[in-house]
Amino acid sequence: MTRTVLDAPPAMPALFARAALTARGRGGDLPDTRLARLGVEVDPASLAAYSRVCGFPLADSLPVTYPHLLAFPLQVALMTEREFPLALPGLVHVRNQVDQLRPIGAGEALDVEVWAERLAAHVRGATVDLCASVAAGGAEVWRSRSTYLARGATAPEGAPEADVGVSVGALDRVSAQWRVPGDTGRRYAAVSGDMNPIHLTGVTAKAFGFKRAIAHGMWVKGRTLAALAGRLPDAVSVDVAFRKPLLLPGTVTLSTEPVEGGWDVAVRNAKAGTEHLLGTIRPS
Amino acid sequence: MAPQTRKAAIVGGNRIPFARSNGAYARASNQDMLTATLDGLVARFGLQGQQVGEVVAGAVLKHARDFNLTRESVLGSRLSAATPAYDVQQACGTGLEAAVLVANKIALGQLESGIAGGVDTTSDAPMALNEDMRRALLAVNSAKTLQQRLKALSGIRPGQLVPEVPRNAEPRTGLAMGDHAAITAAEWEIGREEQDELTVRSHQALAAAYDRGFFDDLVTPFLGLTRDQNLRPDSSLEKLARLKPVFGQGADATMTAGNSTPLTDGASAVLLASDEWAAEHDLPVLAHLVDAQTAAVDYVHGGEGLLMAPAYAVPVLLARNELTLQDFDFYEVHEAFASTVLATMKAWEDPAFCKDKLGLDAPLGSIDRAKLNVHGSSLAAGHPFAATGGRIIATLAKALHEAGPGKRGLISICAAGGQGVVAILES
Repeated sequence: MTRTVLDAPPAMPALFARAALTARGRGGDLPDTRLARLGVEVDPASLAAYSRVCGFPLADSLPVTYPHLLAFPLQVALMTEREFPLALPGLVHVRNQVDQLRPIGAGEALDVEVWAERLAAHVRGATVDLCASVAAGGAEVWRSRSTYLARGATAPEGAPEADVGVSVGALDRVSAQWRVPGDTGRRYAAVSGDMNPIHLTGVTAKAFGFKRAIAHGMWVKGRTLAALAGRLPDAVSVDVAFRKPLLLPGTVTLSTEPVEGGWDVAVRNAKAGTEHLLGTIRPS
Repeated sequence: MAPQTRKAAIVGGNRIPFARSNGAYARASNQDMLTATLDGLVARFGLQGQQVGEVVAGAVLKHARDFNLTRESVLGSRLSAATPAYDVQQACGTGLEAAVLVANKIALGQLESGIAGGVDTTSDAPMALNEDMRRALLAVNSAKTLQQRLKALSGIRPGQLVPEVPRNAEPRTGLAMGDHAAITAAEWEIGREEQDELTVRSHQALAAAYDRGFFDDLVTPFLGLTRDQNLRPDSSLEKLARLKPVFGQGADATMTAGNSTPLTDGASAVLLASDEWAAEHDLPVLAHLVDAQTAAVDYVHGGEGLLMAPAYAVPVLLARNELTLQDFDFYEVHEAFASTVLATMKAWEDPAFCKDKLGLDAPLGSIDRAKLNVHGSSLAAGHPFAATGGRIIATLAKALHEAGPGKRGLISICAAGGQGVVAILES
């Protein structure tokens, strides 16, 4: 394994441009590399902007999903490297698991490390897990596993089967209804750095086969956790499956159900009932 | 400090007729309406130039510049300028909560007299700057150099000129109050016809009360209105049956513009005092405020109905006062929606709800419908959110006084945010 420590966060627009230019001709196994940044400090203005876009209260501890923003640029850099077997443009986030081991103070210096694993076969292509571990004072405080689907890609011989399902209860009672504005993708892109064109405008989304721009899965997840502010365990595991894309603008419903000291959650289209997100939130 | 508490007396009340949104009071502000209402109360009880202990009132839809709405209204009224005032806000519970606060200070001997009130306008409603524009302007405001100011100004976009209009929706659920009430109505299987019946009764009872002069000393005409603009004395089941549902979905949709309260403008005020103060001023005591209770429910993640909190508050109040639900001569259950009143009463009759949710051995039981909202309620009068409490207190106090000594009335008001305020009055 090779581990590279970066001094600064990678420049996201340049990475996305490079990923687009180098999309063709990729394949093979996952590289055994890890990217890391040490002593990362959270910018208070960025934290405030992220909290506002997702609906989290601005507080002295980080929203459960916030460390993803620190790991994501490194993961993009990893996926942009020549050896990475799947093309970044068009990758679809299908599952995201986050474990927060304890609340993380907004002022803590964080060590962030990312890697890729589990290239797996999926009926519609191949999936890969982008993992992250965040440590403070030498001890892990947060980890995540983001599963992306590359439609039409082929997993290598002997690859395991993709594991993208999350099972939840019936969740037939609506807790809230959200009108999701058309600029949600651009707003989340601005605070997260995730400038995947499928989230930005209708025109750029059409190029990848979507009717309209679609919401970031991690925005839907963040918005859902924000709706449960004050009701989440301190040490918590949040596992969500991103089902059908949430086309922007749109109106969706949130359903919640207390389960085993945590929650089952579902975000669905308000009219059609199409599932956008199914998730479990459990104390860990 | 007073060694013992005493029960605050309700001396009387005053309100302006309630107007439909963008109706007779379209150009009146909250302060205009509250001031007129206070002046009507002052005239009725001879309080010109006098100092009352405190004036407590509020508005649900309130502009930031009206931070001292009640004090400003007092300063513009005929009360002594030395009368202190403060604002409260508990959504539709505001008016009743204001009266409870005044009554509690009187009970403790901290006040000898006080006025509780409330006002709301949905016509002259506050509009907010677009949130992006607001943040951009805040940045401009905090910029110290010309360069910083220019940079901040460059963040302004034409789209940000569109203002934010207040939505009649719960912030945490995004659902209108009517949508929430429709869910509860479906859960409790409240039918269209029983809702329409309750609505017709409300209109007929309010009209009859006006006709016999019941409101002559409770209402002061304002801007050309002498009766509530929403009142339809000729309301009938046939007419109501023709209305299309506006809340709820499919076959379950039973709630119409008729059996839901309309957006309304108006204000109300109630004069409370110690018995001694009333006697000194040669003023009557209509009733006493005996006790009050609030409750709240988890309507977001807990599965309880948004407007069901009074169902939880009443049993607590009854137990503390060693009363049963049947020990009352009048019931004033605020008609936010006809279905809300019916669902609340059904809940009190339901053994499973009373056992599982309220923790009671036996259901609270039924209310004698002949004693319910006998002078009409919000479906007919309208519901200017913060003004409803004052309307109900004054109406009930007068009804109890008319009925003679020792009569008892129960007030139940549901409020946004899953809250409820309930109180007992006694003559």
